[in-house]
Amino acid sequence: MHLSLNRRHFMGLMGAAATMPMMGRMASAATPFNFQASWINDAEFAGYFLAADKGYYKEAGLELEYLSGGPDVIPESSIIAGKADLTLTTPDTTIKAIVEQGAPFKIIGAQYQKNPIGIVSLAKNPIKQPKDLIGKTLAVPPVNVISVEAMLKISGIDRAQVNIVPYAYDPTPLIKGEIDASVDFTTNVPFTIKQAGEEATSFLLYDFGFTIFNDTVVVTEEVLKAKRKEIVAFLKASRKGWEENLADPAAFPKTFADTWFKGTGRSIENEVYFNTAQKPLMENPKGIFFMSEEAIAANIEALAAVGITAKREYFDTTVLEEV
Amino acid sequence: MATETALEAQAGTSGGTPHGTPFGVAKGETGFRHWSALRNAAILLVVWEVLGRFKLVAGGALPAPTDVIIRFWSDRGDYPLHILATFQGASLGFLIGNGLAILAGILFAVSPVAARLGRGLNVAIFALPPIAISPILVLTFSGMTPRVVLAALGCYFVTMSATVTGISQTDRRMLDVVRAYGGTRLALLRLVEIRAALPAILAGLRIAAPAAVLGSILAEFGGGGRFGLGAYLIGSLGRADPARLWGIGLAATAMALIAYGIFALIEARLTRSTRAVTVAATPPGIRSEGSLVSTIAITLASIALPFIVWWLLLKILGTPAMIAKTPAGVFDYLFLAPSATSAQTRLLAALGQTLPMTLIGMAAGLAFAFALALASVVRPGIVRSFMPVALVTQTMPLVALTPLLVLLLGRGPSVILWITISVTFFPAFVTLAQGLGMVSRGALDVVRAYGASPFTQLRLVSIPASLPYLFAAMRLAVPRALLGVMIAEWLATGTGLGNLLNQSRGYLDYGMIWTVAVVSVLISVLFYQIVIVIERHVLRKRGMQPAA
Repeated sequence: MHLSLNRRHFMGLMGAAATMPMMGRMASAATPFNFQASWINDAEFAGYFLAADKGYYKEAGLELEYLSGGPDVIPESSIIAGKADLTLTTPDTTIKAIVEQGAPFKIIGAQYQKNPIGIVSLAKNPIKQPKDLIGKTLAVPPVNVISVEAMLKISGIDRAQVNIVPYAYDPTPLIKGEIDASVDFTTNVPFTIKQAGEEATSFLLYDFGFTIFNDTVVVTEEVLKAKRKEIVAFLKASRKGWEENLADPAAFPKTFADTWFKGTGRSIENEVYFNTAQKPLMENPKGIFFMSEEAIAANIEALAAVGITAKREYFDTTVLEEV
Repeated sequence: MATETALEAQAGTSGGTPHGTPFGVAKGETGFRHWSALRNAAILLVVWEVLGRFKLVAGGALPAPTDVIIRFWSDRGDYPLHILATFQGASLGFLIGNGLAILAGILFAVSPVAARLGRGLNVAIFALPPIAISPILVLTFSGMTPRVVLAALGCYFVTMSATVTGISQTDRRMLDVVRAYGGTRLALLRLVEIRAALPAILAGLRIAAPAAVLGSILAEFGGGGRFGLGAYLIGSLGRADPARLWGIGLAATAMALIAYGIFALIEARLTRSTRAVTVAATPPGIRSEGSLVSTIAITLASIALPFIVWWLLLKILGTPAMIAKTPAGVFDYLFLAPSATSAQTRLLAALGQTLPMTLIGMAAGLAFAFALALASVVRPGIVRSFMPVALVTQTMPLVALTPLLVLLLGRGPSVILWITISVTFFPAFVTLAQGLGMVSRGALDVVRAYGASPFTQLRLVSIPASLPYLFAAMRLAVPRALLGVMIAEWLATGTGLGNLLNQSRGYLDYGMIWTVAVVSVLISVLFYQIVIVIERHVLRKRGMQPAA
């Protein structure tokens, strides 16, 4: 607490000191806007990095503070605690929190039209459909347990028929055959497995009935009221960044090597693979982040399979209409 | 508190021991000892290299040391930023934690009532499993603060108890001199007691330094943020690159050892001696004086204090009630809310898996420590060669070893047991070895004169004489056993409290995250108190005093 508060106070004072002598320019001063990402810095967020580097947020009047995520970061916590104004989430956990705990969340957009999460296995011991999982060992990260349970249920498989173990995001046990399959981003892990000298096979949970978005753009109702203008500006700048990035997925990752990607220990080829693989999962004729009525209905239906009763009102499509 | 005793053993200190610790060797042998240590290390490295090179362990999940070095070299650009960030979190936590610890130590040494009031808080801090606390720190604080707090918590107990011990061992005559000249309480403290306690405090700082590094890294796992060795490790998990994970793990180990070494040097410079401080596992204020009523009142207040601090902290911070649960919030979640029954069922099911494993793991860890301590008496050479490996197991983040462990041990009870033994045995071993080393020579000579075998000597003299140390070892082992089981459940088996904590994060079940943290601290404290009661009973019967 000490650190961040002090830093914030300090920054606030600095900001105040800087603007004091030139009150006339205050109107054009950028508004601070905190964005909590859902994972460590990789190609999943290339569009935001590009928009930041090209100054699209500044042009939109935002002073963006980008907060990196990671395996143990709960993005929703950041917006409840007020550390961030906007975040990216997995819709199943977000909606479960709205239903069960009355969390004041609104889903205002979706980065991935199709959830990139899938079942990854080795080509020499392939799992090509949910039925193949019966009697096998599947490693699942804790945040994705709901998704996997839903997919099994929709496919008519008893959860007890699959041996589910924790997945610590390290594919080594999969490559060595200790587990038969793992749940991970299909846009990423197959590359790692190939690097380790194996061939991967995978399928999306989406293609077997678990038709949900991912990296849903979520804000609290309070922030939506108070900062609607800034949220619209953020989405607009981000969409611009994403469109430019996806126009040539191989072009931009290398420009982040010494900035955004510094110290992640991931190769640029890996990021290009990721960036290319995610393109078809993101694109929508009505623009990045768009949520169609059919897609929202599909989300609600998929979640109903695991007993989560989502309602249309949890999704707010009016913000994107202003973009 | 992973490294303290480990390092103590490695340093081979022998302060206060009449006949030397198992590691204390007569001076003339020092040269030989260094050579044999080097030789053993070389043999170990060669064996490791062969095992790694030819993929003999778990199909290559154990990388060869040369692979680790090559990987480290190609990653060298990544390291400085991560090391710097970990250093910042650890050093700030070190300053804050030790500053508070020294102040608290002085307060407890000066005021017995304060010591008794603070006992509940001290035991809670001693016993808390960092893995359960880390998520609630991340929910409550932001930025670097969780790292700083966990690092500070890692330092607090060691330094606080070292300060109390140091002050209480002040030479009475010096106090009398200052008193005779009309010195005030403050003058006594300033002129005599703090100076007298300095060697003990410095020894505490030496043990706290690596604990601060490990605390910071642990909080980095869950705290987000781009930099820090913990963040780097988490970010690298997805690479399926064991050599990278080992490189990061060993870098963390090196940082902890360097932190220890720096303070050992400072201490040697300032006091011209290295004092052995075994990890105290007893908070001050255990003896009760005064009437029964006041004893009960103070005991109750001491139990209430941790809850009051918890509640006040959240009120002051103003963290939203949805994510930050006060004591009332946890009670509500567990007993009153509509979901209370479901929460209770899940909690009890998890406890049913975790508690038996904790007891078994604790027994196994102690048995292993005891066997090792006995071996160190009979065959000190073999145990010394084992020490470098043991040290690495104490400071290496287990996350880096998970793939190797599950490949070798599977995901059943055996992986829980081995992880728990590895987390538990070391402090217990050092305490036990110290106890066995302090057995009276005279008593041993008596049975020897009657021709007793080494085993009979142990049975008749050494083991009964070192009972106080066995209990001290148990007190150290209790909280660590729960920690070990939860780590294994979280990383490998997906059962019990460790998994419940992990899954609750995925479900955004904040009530359960807090419940698991609170319940795990309570269990630790409860087990600890049970050991204390048994210890008092057994030792009183034999007319012995508790150790450390």
